[in-house]
Amino acid sequence: MDEKYSSNVISGGKLGRVDAPNARLTRYIVLLYFTKLLKAFGIFESYDLLKVVHIVQFLFILKMGCAVILVFFQKPFSSGKMIPKRQWIKILKHAVMSCVISLLGFFGLTLCGPLRTLLLFEHSDLVVISLLSVLFTSSGGGPSKTRGAAFFIIAVICLLLFDNDDLMAKMAEHPEGHHDSALTHALYTGIAFLGVADHKGGVVLLVLALCLKVAFNTASRKLSVEIGGTKRLYALSNLVSAVVLLPWVIVLSATTESKVESWSGLILPFAMIIFSVMILDFYVESICMAKLETSRCARYGSIFLFLSGLLLANFWTHPLTDQLRAVSNPVHQSSTEHVLSGGVLVSACFFIMADSILSAPSSKGQKGTLVGYSPEGTPLYNFMGDALQHTSQSLPRFIKDSLKQILEEYDSRQIFYFLCLNLAFTFVELFYGVWTNSLGLISDGFHMLFDCSALVLGLFAALMTRWKATRIYSYGYGRVEILSGFINGLFLMVIAFFVFVESVTRLIDPPNINTDMLTPVSVGGLLVNLVGICAFSHAHSHGASKGSCSGHDHGHGHGSAEHSHGGHGHSHGGHGHSHGHGHSHGSAGGGMNANMRGVYLHVLADTLGSVGVIISTILIKQFGWLIADPICSLFIATLIFLSVIPLLKDACEVLLLRTPPQHEKDLNFALEKIQKIEGVLSYRDPHVWRHSASVIAGTIHLQLMSDVVEQRVIQQVSAVLKDAGVNNLTIQLEKEAYFQHMSGLSTGFHEVLTMTQQMESIKYYKDGTCIM
Amino acid sequence: MLPLSIKDDEYKPAKFNLLVKISGWFRSILADKTSRNLFFFLCLNLSFAFVELLYGIWSNSLGLISDSFHMFFDCTALLAGLAASVISRWRSNDSFSYGYVRAEVLAGFVNGLFLIFTAFFIFSEGVERALEPPDVHHDRLLPVSIAGLLVNLVGIFVFQHGGHGHSHGDEGHGHSHSLFNGSAGHGHSHGSHGHSHESKHGHDHGHSHGGHGHSHDDPHCHDDHLHTPGKGSSKQILQGVFLHIVADTLGSVGVIISAILMQKYDLMIADPICSMLISILIGVSVVPLLRESIGILMQRTPPPLDHTLPECYQRVQQLKGVYNLQEPHFWTLCTDVYIGTLKLLVAPDADSRWILSQTHNIFTQVGVRQLYVQIEVAAM
Repeated sequence: MDEKYSSNVISGGKLGRVDAPNARLTRYIVLLYFTKLLKAFGIFESYDLLKVVHIVQFLFILKMGCAVILVFFQKPFSSGKMIPKRQWIKILKHAVMSCVISLLGFFGLTLCGPLRTLLLFEHSDLVVISLLSVLFTSSGGGPSKTRGAAFFIIAVICLLLFDNDDLMAKMAEHPEGHHDSALTHALYTGIAFLGVADHKGGVVLLVLALCLKVAFNTASRKLSVEIGGTKRLYALSNLVSAVVLLPWVIVLSATTESKVESWSGLILPFAMIIFSVMILDFYVESICMAKLETSRCARYGSIFLFLSGLLLANFWTHPLTDQLRAVSNPVHQSSTEHVLSGGVLVSACFFIMADSILSAPSSKGQKGTLVGYSPEGTPLYNFMGDALQHTSQSLPRFIKDSLKQILEEYDSRQIFYFLCLNLAFTFVELFYGVWTNSLGLISDGFHMLFDCSALVLGLFAALMTRWKATRIYSYGYGRVEILSGFINGLFLMVIAFFVFVESVTRLIDPPNINTDMLTPVSVGGLLVNLVGICAFSHAHSHGASKGSCSGHDHGHGHGSAEHSHGGHGHSHGGHGHSHGHGHSHGSAGGGMNANMRGVYLHVLADTLGSVGVIISTILIKQFGWLIADPICSLFIATLIFLSVIPLLKDACEVLLLRTPPQHEKDLNFALEKIQKIEGVLSYRDPHVWRHSASVIAGTIHLQLMSDVVEQRVIQQVSAVLKDAGVNNLTIQLEKEAYFQHMSGLSTGFHEVLTMTQQMESIKYYKDGTCIM
Repeated sequence: MLPLSIKDDEYKPAKFNLLVKISGWFRSILADKTSRNLFFFLCLNLSFAFVELLYGIWSNSLGLISDSFHMFFDCTALLAGLAASVISRWRSNDSFSYGYVRAEVLAGFVNGLFLIFTAFFIFSEGVERALEPPDVHHDRLLPVSIAGLLVNLVGIFVFQHGGHGHSHGDEGHGHSHSLFNGSAGHGHSHGSHGHSHESKHGHDHGHSHGGHGHSHDDPHCHDDHLHTPGKGSSKQILQGVFLHIVADTLGSVGVIISAILMQKYDLMIADPICSMLISILIGVSVVPLLRESIGILMQRTPPPLDHTLPECYQRVQQLKGVYNLQEPHFWTLCTDVYIGTLKLLVAPDADSRWILSQTHNIFTQVGVRQLYVQIEVAAM
């Protein structure tokens, strides 16, 4: 398992990205895939073998076979320089370490099955190193790496906690008994001593072994250079470890009797495992390292391995494959252990994500591309393009930023608080509804979500309004708030309409409402509403009508709760209030923007719905007037309509580019003034419109006498219009000759075209010199 | 030269006379083909709704009554379209200096929003039914929905042939649906509604746009509007209408399939699934329309000009004497009418009149009808 010893020695020296032709790369990737598939197959096979063969024997056979083949191919003794005695000792240490790690790995395999072993143990060094650097150093390499590390840890935890395997219970029953050797027994007792089940112990063991493996690989990198290549070291180390294991195996086979009936039947599986796990994987990995980038190789390798592991795990215990394998492998026992479970699937997904993130080229190392060498011989790097701009967005940071933005301003902060409250209430309602299986509550929860969408819209609009103007939206995004107010108004209209319809149908055929459940909820709603009303009036006195909204939000939640019981009550109640709001709005004047007005109306409408519900409840309960409910609804729907109309009217006026009514008088006055400015003959097409709450745009054509100074006129006119409130002004000055020319132009479009064509030819003639 | 704005006073309504006004509306509705078609649909729809309502009250069938109200709701969309097509022809006055042409865009936007609402309601209804499938009586469902499908197919066919034929298809469609709703009861009314409604929408929207392009024909003089019906209606909107009708057809196919499934195999789950699919279709088909109208309402730089404008800026900056170009704002008033403002910083000795006319030329060529250029002389 000590593949890719010197990955970084081989390919780490590259400076920039290697742009190999695509087809060649694909070839290597396909090769890698097949190797990984074979390796996964080998590991599954070895899991089956380990049930019958003792682990030390198994390892010995693997190392032995591998060493024989490698010595044959690699010729470590005949080729290359002689190895001094000092290095033999190092190789011995290396071999012992690799034996220990392989033992741990295979022991983990026996404990938690092939798929989980694949998932846990087969990560490339690169992934683990970047994981560790994220966890234990301050400069982990940016938020994306942190995310990857988080995925990795979640995956391990998934395997630990949520992987319910039937085998766990079975194993826990007989912790002792079938252990063949002192070593296995010691490990078992060690794990049992720690108080974890076998399965989980295996997971922990594998994670430890993984860390050890990585440390070992990193440490042995230097040795491989001294010995003269990774492959030579690998061959020698395998040979030495086989030698080291030999006495142990002899002792073992002398003391315990083997469970294996015939060794001959095992030759084929062993050969298969040796070939796929030990040799092919090693060679292909080193080739791919050399041809592809390290990070890409690592990423593809582990992802392919996991995928094929999942695939095999799905079919391994399938009866069909059992039949197929029974021919070649008689030792297989039918077992359903270590099957796929939800936890494994989830953790496999997380592992794949973590690997692809963690093995992504770190921004530090490959930021620049080599462009050449300076006269002194130091390399020059080019920090251009995506290396600098493509900083990965961190999700927590994004959330933090947008939260900060939201909380920065009063409007969005208020909306955000409501939204949180509303959502919390909605989810409680939904969960409770699902739990008690009450359809009324669930549908009401959905209604609440619908209401929340209005709030979300308002919040989003409040945020978007502050965006900077771009090339495409040259006036900025201020209009969003008007649009959002308009949409919220339309929402309310639709709701009112539906309430109206519903109440008419109820008027004709009053349904039987069970009022017993209604009372406690609606009384609670009323209380909350009263609080909301208090807060509202308080805020009103302050001048900003927004504070009131926060009080309302509560009310809203309750109102909807009632709604579930009383049918449409919810939307109704809203109305009573909204009417009140209409009033308040009038008094507040233009201080509130359309967005806030829309949201506000919506919240108010929802809030006061509860009042309607309570009144109708009382009437129904006391007097048995079933007709009270639809009448309340009708009333409320009408109120909503009336209160929304001003908002809609205002928004429509803005959207239709009306001259702002507040400034109309000033503007007329200003236009008169302009007329009187010295040198102005007349004006034409004065367009003034409100773009957003803060921007009023205007354009005007002025006809001037031919002898005035244009700049002075522009200054005067813009001063006059600025006083009238226009803050985005464009003035086109026309002297007489020009005006005649343009009035000629505007006679018809075709004439315009021909004329412009003529003009163009003149222009090309004229502007020979370009001034930028 | 006299100030032209004085003329505007003539167009203000002198006195509020209901009769005159209504007859004026009628005339203006009937004058234009678009609004005339819309008006006829609306009348048809309304009469159906009333017949349904009356019959429902008479026979005391709750399903029919609530359905008729749904029909009314659908009519509001038509009404919005009709109102927009009338309003957009009003003259500009002091307050609305650009005229009312934007009403068309606004109507399209409102219709799109209504569609989204409807889709949402249908979807939530579908979810509710998926949780607890109600008992739908499907005895008369199948024939009615097949009739609806046929009408839809006619609609698609006619639509492909040309813009005005399709109105006919629509009308039939609305009709068949209303029948369908009545007989199917409440269960199906949602799905079918959603889509009957939709087709009308698409329709008005498309039309209104067409109307638009025209009413604004004259770039400079607002005082006289030409109302010639034009070919300028944008292709993409017609395509949108077509998409709507297709979605509609798919909707009725969905209803038929669910009816068959329910009748033959008693698969009650088919109904909510179909209505959810329909609502998703509606939602998807509305998105481009909404995006476009929001872009216009937010004064976005017109998408067709996105690529040509930088080139124009370049050309303007290369004019002799122009130092710099500042604050370029370009936006869409209504379909195909683009308005732009910009400021030029010029050399003190430059010929500003020449620069002005050249700038106008440059931008007229890319289709900007109204341009306001403020020329500022750089301080030496």
